[in-house]
Amino acid sequence: MKFVASAALLSAAFALSAHAQDELSLQLNGFVDSYHALQLQSPHQIMSSRTRARLELHANYGEASLFSSVNLAYNSIIKDQTGAFLREAYFDYAGRFLEVKAGRQIITWGVADGLRITDLISPMDYTEFMANDYDDIRVPVNAINLKYPGESFSAEVVFVPVPEYFVLPTSDDNPWQMTALNGMQLDLSGTPAKRIKNSEVGGRLRFFLENLDFSLTALHTYNKSPVTIASYNPQQQTAVIKGFYEPMNVIGGDVSIPAGEIVIRSEVAAYFGEPIALKNSMDYWRRSSFNALLGIDWYAGDNWTVMAQYMHKVIMDYREVLGTEQNTSMITARISKEVLNNTLKLSVYGMFDVDNVGFYVRPAADYLLSDQITLSLGADWLGGRRGTFKTYKKNTQIWAKGKYFF
Amino acid sequence: MKFAKIAATLVVALSAMSMAQTNARDIMIKVKDRPDGDTRSSSMEMKLVNKSGNTRVRKITSYAMDVGADTKTIMFFQYPNDVKGTGFLTVNYDDVNKEDDKWLYLPALKKTRRISGKSSKTDYFMGSDFTYDDIGKRNVDEDTHKLLREESANGFNYYVVESTPKKDGEIFSKKLIWIRKDCDVVEKVEFYDKLGKLHRQMISSDIKKVDGFWTVGKMEMKNVQTGHSTELLFLDPKYNIQLDSKIFTVNKLERGL
Repeated sequence: MKFVASAALLSAAFALSAHAQDELSLQLNGFVDSYHALQLQSPHQIMSSRTRARLELHANYGEASLFSSVNLAYNSIIKDQTGAFLREAYFDYAGRFLEVKAGRQIITWGVADGLRITDLISPMDYTEFMANDYDDIRVPVNAINLKYPGESFSAEVVFVPVPEYFVLPTSDDNPWQMTALNGMQLDLSGTPAKRIKNSEVGGRLRFFLENLDFSLTALHTYNKSPVTIASYNPQQQTAVIKGFYEPMNVIGGDVSIPAGEIVIRSEVAAYFGEPIALKNSMDYWRRSSFNALLGIDWYAGDNWTVMAQYMHKVIMDYREVLGTEQNTSMITARISKEVLNNTLKLSVYGMFDVDNVGFYVRPAADYLLSDQITLSLGADWLGGRRGTFKTYKKNTQIWAKGKYFF
Repeated sequence: MKFAKIAATLVVALSAMSMAQTNARDIMIKVKDRPDGDTRSSSMEMKLVNKSGNTRVRKITSYAMDVGADTKTIMFFQYPNDVKGTGFLTVNYDDVNKEDDKWLYLPALKKTRRISGKSSKTDYFMGSDFTYDDIGKRNVDEDTHKLLREESANGFNYYVVESTPKKDGEIFSKKLIWIRKDCDVVEKVEFYDKLGKLHRQMISSDIKKVDGFWTVGKMEMKNVQTGHSTELLFLDPKYNIQLDSKIFTVNKLERGL
């Protein structure tokens, strides 16, 4: 019903904006992919087995267009992941001085690779933690995006009436279910009420100059990943982990500077009023934090690419009762090489949680069998002393994927 | 007296060498500055053929605009569908000391990456046998040029120029270039590797005037060492078309065609 209503609304907007002299063009593209993963350690459980068709419809009419993408998925492991799922559905109008994008869309900000400093509007879908394509990890939001498109400057405003939040692995049939939930209920129903005062609004100025790109952002948002507090449900006489979402304001920016064979990237943001759980998990406090990322991309030639990032977070007005260290940091690295006339891509992506000495490493080989078919093999290796990566150590897996584009 | 003779011989030899180099550079400048309008567009179709005869196809739509001596180019990848929507924007500076500006839009990430001006130049373009440098406008002063000879074949007269890169890090040690005198079009290039062996050979054909401008309709590059080859067809070339300068922006790159 929601899908039909969205489609009808978009069609009406499309019809209103169209010019009589323009011709309608329709394009249907997409892909079918099948992904299967096997746990490396005993009991060698099948961690994932899913097949889906992605249908993408693009309709253009002059300066206006409609785009929608739908996943038709069958997941033999996580039952609620089987079905038809609307990804994006938006109306787009590109005027000379104003561009409008309204509807369900993925919004990405910033220059970081896989880490979030200013890129806070579209949250993450951690149904299978990070063992998914980045495209699938991002959650679309229902938003109105207005943009002034200049030549070396653009200004945009984003309004999200009802913010979306992180999707976490909670179902019992999910091998990626958060282990802390064993024997406890998880209550994530505490998302803010769908009222206009709880909406999300942000703006961004982007500049593209000779030898320098930079942007400035401001956003009124929420902690999209819930801060969790332990409590007790007297009716059911069970312990409950309850998720809380609080409004917070963010100001930040990013910069990219090419220098010879490398590009230096950086993002910084101050979060005001971010909720942080206490050590005893019985409450949370709101604090300001400063978040920064420094990245280097090295385009070494001969189809080698090396990327490395360092992210640091500092909690202001810190107290020992807080459940997080005052300073936390993460390092990521990505190395890729294309061979055989770019038909075979070998890559390794790694994340290192400095404070918990935890790691996640994803080696992969993607082979283009033909213009339509890509075959991939890879692994997700997780471990460490503490933290989320250690929690998922048992989920270390190998996987295979086939993808057919049409 | 003997010293004066030697000195005179040296002066003549040096000035002859200098003239040859100057002439060769002038020829290459003429090739680079061959009239091609202030704006242009075309669709490109690349057929990549490996040694076993397996073929892959790439389709690209590109637009270019001259801004003074600099050139802005935007390319949109149309096929295959796994790269459809990928866009590449470059500002190619005429000043040899200035790095090009480059941006790459990746639709799967919905993100534009600023990439190094030096990157890609020596990388092969989309798995083809053409480097980004072969397809773009390589600055004339990145190489030292020497006019080897003039020759005639197939009813045309040619300059044969040897170009040697000035900097390290190039994938060729030298290239021999056959330039048609009547239209300043490069008809054949032989690329030699670091060991001095023939590595790749490029042949242009279907050379004709379109909208009054000399145009290459087809380029074929063969890697003689691997047997891999690429046929590049320029379809529907247009010159001096009405193009909004806003086409050559990151915003347009992200919106696509």
